[in-house]
Amino acid sequence: MTRLVVSELAKHFGGNRVLDRVSFSMRHGSLALVGPNGAGKTTLLNALAGVVRPSAGRIEFDDLDIAGLSTWKIARLGIVKTNQVVRPLHSLTVDEHLRVFTRGNDPVRRARALRATNLEEFREQTADQLPFGALKRLELAEAIVTGARLLLLDEPIGGLSRLEAEGIVETLRTLRAQGQAMIIVEHRLREILPFVDDVVALDRGRIIYDGPPSGFYADAAVRDAYIGRTDAGG
Amino acid sequence: MSGEPRPGWKNLLQGTARVLRAPIYLLALVTITVMAVLPQFFGTQYFALSLVFATIYITLALAWDLSSGLTGYISFGLPFFFGLGAMATGYSYYHGVGGSFSLLAIDFGVGLLGGLLFALPTLRLRGPFFTLLSLLLPLIAASFVVAFWQVLHMPTIGYIGIPFLAPSPQAELPILSVTTAAVLTVSFLLRRSHFGLVLRAIRDDEDAVESKGIRTLPYKVAVFSFASGIAAFAGGTYAMTTSFGGIDSFDFQFLIYPMLIAIVGAAIVRGGLGGIVGSVFAGYAIILFSQYLTLPEFNLQELTLPIFAFVAILLVLFLPSALGRPSGPREAS
Ligand SMILES: Nc1ncnc2c1ncn2[C@@H]1O[C@H](COP(=O)(O)OP(=O)(O)OP(=O)(O)O)[C@@H](O)[C@H]1O
Ligand SMILES: [Mg+2]
Repeated sequence: MTRLVVSELAKHFGGNRVLDRVSFSMRHGSLALVGPNGAGKTTLLNALAGVVRPSAGRIEFDDLDIAGLSTWKIARLGIVKTNQVVRPLHSLTVDEHLRVFTRGNDPVRRARALRATNLEEFREQTADQLPFGALKRLELAEAIVTGARLLLLDEPIGGLSRLEAEGIVETLRTLRAQGQAMIIVEHRLREILPFVDDVVALDRGRIIYDGPPSGFYADAAVRDAYIGRTDAGG
Repeated sequence: MSGEPRPGWKNLLQGTARVLRAPIYLLALVTITVMAVLPQFFGTQYFALSLVFATIYITLALAWDLSSGLTGYISFGLPFFFGLGAMATGYSYYHGVGGSFSLLAIDFGVGLLGGLLFALPTLRLRGPFFTLLSLLLPLIAASFVVAFWQVLHMPTIGYIGIPFLAPSPQAELPILSVTTAAVLTVSFLLRRSHFGLVLRAIRDDEDAVESKGIRTLPYKVAVFSFASGIAAFAGGTYAMTTSFGGIDSFDFQFLIYPMLIAIVGAAIVRGGLGGIVGSVFAGYAIILFSQYLTLPEFNLQELTLPIFAFVAILLVLFLPSALGRPSGPREAS
């Protein structure tokens, strides 16, 4: 079981305080990180993955403070993030993407990820030629083949049709069942909340909710932050 | 499921054999062979010498394409390592090293080490800053060499009287054709290997590669050190062709022509910059044509470089996709 404890994490860009002393921990294997646009969700994931350097605070992963380490070190420790805006290697084929990132260059692991993300038909195509839905799945497949113990997924179904989203949610469910730990940032709560263990909600850089999905909608602070915005459903 | 073999000597050999069956690679080998044999039967001494120069430029172009072309880290440092090799040849020769192949082996080692020392600190910087520093390297080295020789009050700046690699250009050409073919083969294999794949990934989006747990620095340093070793080796062969190892070898023509060859090569062979093989075809064409223009009846020496530079600009402008340039801006997230 992976252990992640975030304490008093802060990040400001100039005078803009994007994360304001954020503290939470992962109690179970999956957590949804939600909140309105600009709440600081991506910034929080970036801080966990080492993409941005936190201004203050601690991030303990398996009793090691990883705050401020470089991305490749954090990734090797087992935390890998996907990008909210897909970011493929444009001249590489799908197969080549996975060959770059597969831990131990293990072909079995790679084949499994291709199948899980339903990318087999695109194997030989370069990222330039892929439809958006396949690019989103490639983003996920890249993270899976690294063998990361904790996946940070930034809007894995953002921008997808309901049908495409269902496919990815199914993949995530399967990964969960296999014991894969993950933090999922999403706006589409109706599709994500049913299968996560915990929810952390951010608003303007502060945590306004931290508890089970069952209590989420009833919470006063959540209602406040989401007025007119709750579960737009995509 | 996957046709990917598991690691192991047998599989490595089989994989190597499979890669080397690529038609375009075989065509390049045939071209090198034909160009090595041709002047043995017809043509002038000048023709043979032009082909000798072509193999040297092609070797440089291969080194540049393998490192800069494949990673996207554009280096202008080629003349530095070329000059370093030429100087090392002279120095070693006058300090008792005998035998062409010992001299060239030393050149390769010196280039490898020099490349390592340069690459380790500078490749921590991202693209443009690295390029800038690589540009300063040959400039500084050239002025240093000039200053040093002036102190010694020597008439020529560099080592004269370096022994020829072979008694005639016709005899030298087969030797350099074999080494060029060897550099081609190693580069082609590296490009098709997992190592080469990571380098291409770095060119596309280095941050994305690092964020998945791959430390890119060792890959970049390895390929630039190797390429520097090759460039110094080529500098050694140049010194043994002209019998002189000195200031001339730091000239920027040893950057411009190889870059041009790699760019034109990238445009004629599928795969873009870093495609390796194209340099062979483009190299013979460009160097032979420029040597032809240099003949006394034309004497257009001054025009050759501008003509080719113009061609390169056109290629970059109108065939960016052929060169493997990113197709558009990418948002960070
Ligand atoms: N590199 C940066 N420099 C300056 N400000 C930034 C930077 N990155 C993010 N911000 C600001 O931080 C705030 C939070 O941004 P962030 O991307 O983390 O929000 P988010 O919760 O992921 O939003 P969304 O749901 O729209 O993706 C925004 O106001 C944004 O403008
Ligand atoms: Mg975001």
